[in-house]
Amino acid sequence: MSEFQDDFPQYELMSNHSAEDGKKARRTLWNVFWVMLIITVVELVIGSMAPSHGWTGALWLKVLFIVLTLAKAGAIVLWFMHLGHEVKFLKYIILVPYIGFMFYTIFVILTEGTYSGESGKFAPTSKIFTDQQESLKNAHQHGGESHNAGSGTEPAPKEAQGAGQHH
Amino acid sequence: MAHSAEIDSKDAWGGGVSPFRVSYGKMMMWFFLVSDALTFGGLLISYGFIRHKFADVWPKAENVFTHFPFIEQHLPLAYVGLMTFILIMSSVTMVLAVEAGHRMDRKGVTLWMFWTIVGGAAFVGSQAWEWYHFIIGTSEGALREVWDFGTGAYVKQIFHGANMTTNEYGVPQFANYFFFITGFHGTHVFSGVIINLIIFLNVLKGTYEKRGHYEMVEKVGLYWHFVDLVWVFVFTFFYLL
Repeated sequence: MSEFQDDFPQYELMSNHSAEDGKKARRTLWNVFWVMLIITVVELVIGSMAPSHGWTGALWLKVLFIVLTLAKAGAIVLWFMHLGHEVKFLKYIILVPYIGFMFYTIFVILTEGTYSGESGKFAPTSKIFTDQQESLKNAHQHGGESHNAGSGTEPAPKEAQGAGQHH
Repeated sequence: MAHSAEIDSKDAWGGGVSPFRVSYGKMMMWFFLVSDALTFGGLLISYGFIRHKFADVWPKAENVFTHFPFIEQHLPLAYVGLMTFILIMSSVTMVLAVEAGHRMDRKGVTLWMFWTIVGGAAFVGSQAWEWYHFIIGTSEGALREVWDFGTGAYVKQIFHGANMTTNEYGVPQFANYFFFITGFHGTHVFSGVIINLIIFLNVLKGTYEKRGHYEMVEKVGLYWHFVDLVWVFVFTFFYLL
């Protein structure tokens, strides 16, 4: 092995550190963990308060959840996966194409996805799905048999709240 | 070994060294993770699209996942909160194992790797429980048009739980995406546990002690954090929003 790599730097060994550096690194990692835990608890508390306060589906709630999610994702990538401390070039070669692709895909689906299945010109969703969609819509409009089907503007009927229980 | 050799930007691209200052294996792991992240990103964006299209009949997660083991109460989000906590915890133990590896602390790596594997296994088990209850459904069920293979027609009947074509909670697409995305993620967690186990056995054998570095732990650590990263998004888009 050494025959070939004699004058190459050993990157694996470059990442080894001393006991003191380790102490510092551990402190940072635990801090990141506490921040992530607090974010998760906040998400859960707001999420479980949402139905009774009528926040479900509100724009500010969606934006808040997405921002908190991105914050957590950033913490994982930059500290846990250590990307924040890698060479700048490596960091950007990973992040920039990925984020670019995601924004592009979201953009495409928002601008080009609006007519899907609406215009007869394109294949509609499989019958097995559209039939059920119709029957669900009818049931919802007539306040009928199918509980849990409601969403959107009206709050779900009282008995539907507890209907998700399992035996 | 010339591991203290300085690389300045002038001759970084001249050959013989990695301009990124990482080993081949670690860089390839990153590239693999980027491609895997593109897959998950595509799945989640397609999920968002279908959910938007069926917004008026899309079930609310808080009416679907309301159960908690051994507690007969309406507890939305509690169980998935626990699962999220388990996965974040196992991500922390993994990063502590990597840190111990940088100090060549074999005992530390063993301990933290062990807890990571325990956390991963607990998460896979929790997900199996979640799936089981989603498939079994509620005792009330809901009236659905179910395909009858005998007569080859749709029959209206009370249906419990969910499968790929019928779903008592709402449109079948909800179940399709739930099974596919959490299933794909669960497969990643499962394979992550297996890979962690292999590396754990190597740590016990002293393979990396002999090698002089614990970079393998760091590489599986990257994969493990990626699994946690995906769950952060699945958690938000399936359960919170």
